[in-house]
Amino acid sequence: MIDLENLSEMELDVLKELGNIGAGHAATALSKLLDKDVNIAVPEVRLGEIKNLSNEFINDIVAGVVIALQDLEENKSGYLYIMFPEASSKQIATNLFGLEEFDEEMYESTIMEVGNILSSSFCDASADFMDVILLPSPPSFAVDVPTAVIDSVVSQMAQKSNHIILFETSLSCDSDIEIYLALLPEPRLLEDITKLMEKL
Amino acid sequence: MTGDILFISKGSGKAIFITKRDVIIKSYCSLSSTCSFRDRCQSCNIIDTAKSYMMDRTSSFGIKTLDGELSAGIGEYKIGKSILLEVMGLGSCIGVVLFDISTGISGIAHVLLPGASQNGETKYAETAIEKMLEDMIKQGARKSKIASKFAGGAQVFKHMNLEILKIGSRNAISVEETLIKNKIPILAKDVGGEVGRNVIFNPLDGSLIIRYTKGGILWL
Repeated sequence: MIDLENLSEMELDVLKELGNIGAGHAATALSKLLDKDVNIAVPEVRLGEIKNLSNEFINDIVAGVVIALQDLEENKSGYLYIMFPEASSKQIATNLFGLEEFDEEMYESTIMEVGNILSSSFCDASADFMDVILLPSPPSFAVDVPTAVIDSVVSQMAQKSNHIILFETSLSCDSDIEIYLALLPEPRLLEDITKLMEKL
Repeated sequence: MTGDILFISKGSGKAIFITKRDVIIKSYCSLSSTCSFRDRCQSCNIIDTAKSYMMDRTSSFGIKTLDGELSAGIGEYKIGKSILLEVMGLGSCIGVVLFDISTGISGIAHVLLPGASQNGETKYAETAIEKMLEDMIKQGARKSKIASKFAGGAQVFKHMNLEILKIGSRNAISVEETLIKNKIPILAKDVGGEVGRNVIFNPLDGSLIIRYTKGGILWL
């Protein structure tokens, strides 16, 4: 199994490229969905210790959508974690429905579906352009501070390593919508990436 | 002075104020749920005591200062004496506090996983609690005086399609079993629910303060 701590620059670069392509297509999907221009921030890949994870995220309440990723052999490849700050998630639902008010359930399933669409386009792009197959699970949804949402996922990853790799970027449109997108790869995905590099 | 941490106990109310350059930047008040000002304190005998202390630094009745704050990251524990101990952003994780009120030595662990580790990793409940206990005794705490309080283990997901996300309740059970096994009395706990928590421990009076991420404070 790959040791996350000892990844080469090259492997991190390939991972970053995968994230870039995925996030780029997620941005296109969001743009079509909202019929607005979407900007994408310069993505970052960071290797960090799990104990410092809470410093990586914003501290405000978000609507968080978590999607598990698998490869064709049903091995865990990692997780996509999409964070919608409260104001942005309300704004997205308002834009999509053209309503100012909607009930909680409608709002939650809307955000889940947006998360679903973004993750599907992320995964499609990774298969089309990188030949890395990522099959998304149905989304799980929570509203809380980012660390509280993600710590159960992190506990899964912590059984294998004290380190975590985080690919992070944000999508924004107009001045009132901002979405944070993070990819937390499992060692399996990094192995797939290494295999891919050997073929080149 | 750049920053003091004040603990004020007046009548039925208790509060912790974290200050920077004589401005209160964070407050944890046991009366906030019934107070009309909520977290935007304006005037009451508790806040007035804090303000007058910051003006002239003369200790008056009911006010004490802490020597700083320590925050334990995910899977870590921190030990201190007269220091405010914190764990932030708990979802399924648990903040476990052990304290010896006779010496003031206290510790907080940010537990991520249930069970014990094969190689001493403190992200696991049993390993974290037992190592922290050992460490506290080394620093002078008395085993017979140590008691515990803990909080966390929520299930924040409303719509869940992944079984693995249900780890909060397993963490809570594991923490409780470890404390019972080590014969440490459990004085208070606040586990489960659907909301994340920030957990603070005040060693001056042994209270565990829980601030829910969506608002509300509980003093245990």
